[in-house]
Amino acid sequence: MAPTENDIAIVGFAQTAPDRRTQLTEADLVLHATRAVMADIGLDKSEIGFTVSGSCDYLSGQAFSFVQNTDAYGMVPAINESHVEMDGAWALYEAFVRLLQGDIDVAMAVGVGKNSNSDPSTLYTIEFDPYYLTPLGTDTWSLAAMQARALLESGKATERDFAEVVVRNRANAKSNPYAQVSGDFSIDELLAADYVRNPLRLHDLPPTTDQAAAIILARGKRAYDLCDRPAWITGIDHRIEAHLPTVRKDITTSVSTRLAAEGAGAGKAPIEVAEVHAPFGFQELIVAESLGLDASTEINPSGGALASHAVMVAGIIRIGEAANQITKNGKNRTLAHATSGPCLQQNLVCVMEGDQ
Amino acid sequence: MADTVQEFVFNLTFPFTRTLGSTLSTFSSALAQGQIIGVRTGGRVIAPPLEYDPDTAADTGTDWVRVGPKGTVSTWTWVPEPTNLHPLDHAFGFAFITLDGADTPMIHLVDAGSESAMSAGMRVEAKFKAPGDCVGRIDDIIAFVPAADPSLSEGAGEPFEAPEENDITEMDAYCDLTYVDNASPTTTMWAKALMEGRLIGQKCPQCARTIVGPRGMCSVCAIELDESHVIEVADRGVVSNFTIVTPVQYHGQTETEPFVRCSIMLEGADAVIAQQEILDIPASEVRVGMHVECVWAPESERSVEDIDNRSRGSGGDAILGWRLTGEPDEPAELYLDRMM
Amino acid sequence: MSHQPVAVVGIGQTHHKRKRADVSIAGLVREAAQRALEDANMDWGDIDAVVLGKAPDLFEGVMKPEMYLADALGAVNKPMFRVHTAGSVGGSTGIVGSHLVSSGRHKRVLSVAFEKQSEGNAQFALGGGKGASIGAGGAFAPFIRAYIRRSGAPEDIGWMVAVKDRLNGAKNPYAHLKLADITIDKVKESPMMWDPLHFLESCPSSDGACAIVFTDEDGGKKASKPPAWVLATAMKSEPGWYSGRDAVNPQAAHACSQEIYNTVGITNPREQIDCAELYVPFSWYEPMWLEAHDIAAPGEGWKMTQSGATALGGDFPVNMSGGVLSSNPIGASGLLRFAEAALQVRGLAEDHQVGGAKLAIAQAYGANAQFFAMWAVGSSLNPLG
Repeated sequence: MAPTENDIAIVGFAQTAPDRRTQLTEADLVLHATRAVMADIGLDKSEIGFTVSGSCDYLSGQAFSFVQNTDAYGMVPAINESHVEMDGAWALYEAFVRLLQGDIDVAMAVGVGKNSNSDPSTLYTIEFDPYYLTPLGTDTWSLAAMQARALLESGKATERDFAEVVVRNRANAKSNPYAQVSGDFSIDELLAADYVRNPLRLHDLPPTTDQAAAIILARGKRAYDLCDRPAWITGIDHRIEAHLPTVRKDITTSVSTRLAAEGAGAGKAPIEVAEVHAPFGFQELIVAESLGLDASTEINPSGGALASHAVMVAGIIRIGEAANQITKNGKNRTLAHATSGPCLQQNLVCVMEGDQ
Repeated sequence: MADTVQEFVFNLTFPFTRTLGSTLSTFSSALAQGQIIGVRTGGRVIAPPLEYDPDTAADTGTDWVRVGPKGTVSTWTWVPEPTNLHPLDHAFGFAFITLDGADTPMIHLVDAGSESAMSAGMRVEAKFKAPGDCVGRIDDIIAFVPAADPSLSEGAGEPFEAPEENDITEMDAYCDLTYVDNASPTTTMWAKALMEGRLIGQKCPQCARTIVGPRGMCSVCAIELDESHVIEVADRGVVSNFTIVTPVQYHGQTETEPFVRCSIMLEGADAVIAQQEILDIPASEVRVGMHVECVWAPESERSVEDIDNRSRGSGGDAILGWRLTGEPDEPAELYLDRMM
Repeated sequence: MSHQPVAVVGIGQTHHKRKRADVSIAGLVREAAQRALEDANMDWGDIDAVVLGKAPDLFEGVMKPEMYLADALGAVNKPMFRVHTAGSVGGSTGIVGSHLVSSGRHKRVLSVAFEKQSEGNAQFALGGGKGASIGAGGAFAPFIRAYIRRSGAPEDIGWMVAVKDRLNGAKNPYAHLKLADITIDKVKESPMMWDPLHFLESCPSSDGACAIVFTDEDGGKKASKPPAWVLATAMKSEPGWYSGRDAVNPQAAHACSQEIYNTVGITNPREQIDCAELYVPFSWYEPMWLEAHDIAAPGEGWKMTQSGATALGGDFPVNMSGGVLSSNPIGASGLLRFAEAALQVRGLAEDHQVGGAKLAIAQAYGANAQFFAMWAVGSSLNPLG
């Protein structure tokens, strides 16, 4: 393929080994992930034209915590650098847009989160409507559980279907060297577990992970200097819905995922592999349906967010994993999805293709 | 590796005060009087009211509607073990509750007694705090309970006339989060050296810069630094810069008197240690160029409990501060540019 | 740069105050956004994407408030983005918004930045919720002291900046501080905060928001009011700490402005730029940034202040709006600089207008004077001719 100057590809991806409780700081994790991806493709830091990270102050419990993380970039001489208070998937989006300015041809997007420092059942209460939800200690598991029950009540899925998602993802995770949780389970043994938030059981909830990941993007012909088979981003889009799940028309479907998929041109041709960011297993069913995927698409060969789930990183890892399917596994067209907010409020879709 | 890794518990607590604006003030003032209201916007009644219509982005306006106190559950879950942030300390349910008179549900607690009592379609009724305890916040409703009488709420759907001025315009929001961080290998090395009465730095093999209050990496070269890069540095040097802080009293502030934090260029090393205190002389007498030496706490009294991953050269309670050595000052011009 | 032209066609800001008790968080943000839309002669439905920027969420105690604000900003079913680059965030919010248009991704983008810090306590948040926080001034006072020594500047320069900016603020209907009767003596006699900075040389803590509407070239040409054209944008970062770092005259500051000047073709910033909005939260940063951005030679920045060059009627006005010293809703302050520069070249700055301004620059900085965001805006796509 002869890329134009506006074609942008993923040419490198690295992630740190997921850790339930690392002794490293977020800055250490960023250093490891960025050095790994640069070493992997033979890139020197001086060749990177723009660096952008995604992380969250409140996850670390300190204002400006991303500032310490920038120590890992070696910003002497000064570099073009930015940060988003969002999953690294959106940092990648900013890198993509930045490359389109045309003055640089290599960019690096990073996601990092030391999730083990905080308790997800209390931390995320402050991400929700400050007047109506936070004062009740409304937690992320309860919100997800209510979405799950709504899905059951709609008749679109059963608890067996929920368990099947977990069985499949955990089995897939066995072949992922970067999985924290993996193994063979049966649907019945999963269904025998107690509810943590009816109808969700422990295995339906995302693991807590400390991790960082980095992706290198290259523009135009430069991509071939760094990668034999770049994963060209043929479409990328993200949308957000109303904050309160109660004012959305139907939380058993994801309108923003559908719109983002349309914007990214997902439906133009078959998708061979989709990496779906479903922190709560049952959400994979909603997202897959909203993406318009059918049985011909392999979903989450990595094991998805149930294999490892560092908030701020799980989304960019989906993009990296889907890109790897092209760059390292010979696939031709893959899709990655990332989500944020209560009950799939915000969603990003990235469609990638390899040279034919 | 280290025997046990030091952990730091940090409680992030703060009393925030939120001002409500007109829509939420109207809701809160009515709620404090025991009346739940919604707003009619774009053809549907949203309760509790939002300020802006999610579909059109328009102001939702002032077409207030009485809703509840009863409603119908559409989806729900059960919380077997409440967290410290949940308002109830026994098991309870959360639910989407569409109040009579409203078109969209709200989220609130259902104190149903047991998980088996929860169901989609169940009728519930708001249970309020005593009138004197109501402040207009959503938890004035302690929880919803199964409705003894499932019939439609009286007056639901009827217009609500807002008063000229709302009583309640603010809401208290107490943040109460607990974090547990752990000492990185680099922090552990720094803390261990402090306990032994030593200052250490890490020297980058590539650019030869030394950082005291090591960070496990060179921020210039982006390479990892570990125990093999550790160097000992002197615990005496020259003040290269300082600031005198007049403390502002904020919730959580621990200082009341002006205090000094200074940077010290350490003898024999091209390295500066920051955030140090000067002992025995008033803040106004601190000068760039002063020779100082470290005053270590007696070995048995040293503590590095407060040294966390962001300490950046702080000596914790191992270092009491720095005192004048009595040597004549160095010329300030030689040091003033070395705040780092 | 092979990107498309971007125009600023709408600017809005709130009345900045110590405490905006009359609005919720959404109400505050909405006020600025609504004004920007009205200025642009647009409605919510015309906007394709929203970019929100603010400083640490610890200031309000709401994590990722952009999620809750999606409804208020008309972002439902659209892309919503959240930037956080410390103090420079307002600038990055403007830059990211402009890039969404210059890249061809969208035609009309709304950038909004805000802080409602009265709901918490800014110093508490800066200290990460712990005691003995030295505050932002505490971090910068040593740099300022070093500058004074290096440059030989007389002690009253900082006081002069404090007076100038507050007198400018008195002409700006949106400014938090409007101290029309401020004098050098009042500044000098105000309590010392972080030697040498007195209370009246330091920025206030404000609630406020700012919004900008960007459109493409076609939209800029058709706008009912004169647009400001975004001629160049740059963001540069360096480490906050390393042995031997010059934090007084940071390399990233020079690199940032140099990139702007190269792109626009500015070879003599002092002569060719008509005015500047620079992030000056503590008085002495005016001369320091003039030097760091090569507008004044090293050691000469204070002379521009002293001579009156940077006053509203001078030959290089700085902070005509009153700057950060007059209003400081932390997350919004950077975008306010960018917006005020744009107002100047649109000719819409009313009582604080620099007559005939055709080319203006704006700058925001963050953290340990290590993050820089700047842009240059012009009354035409080629103001230097």
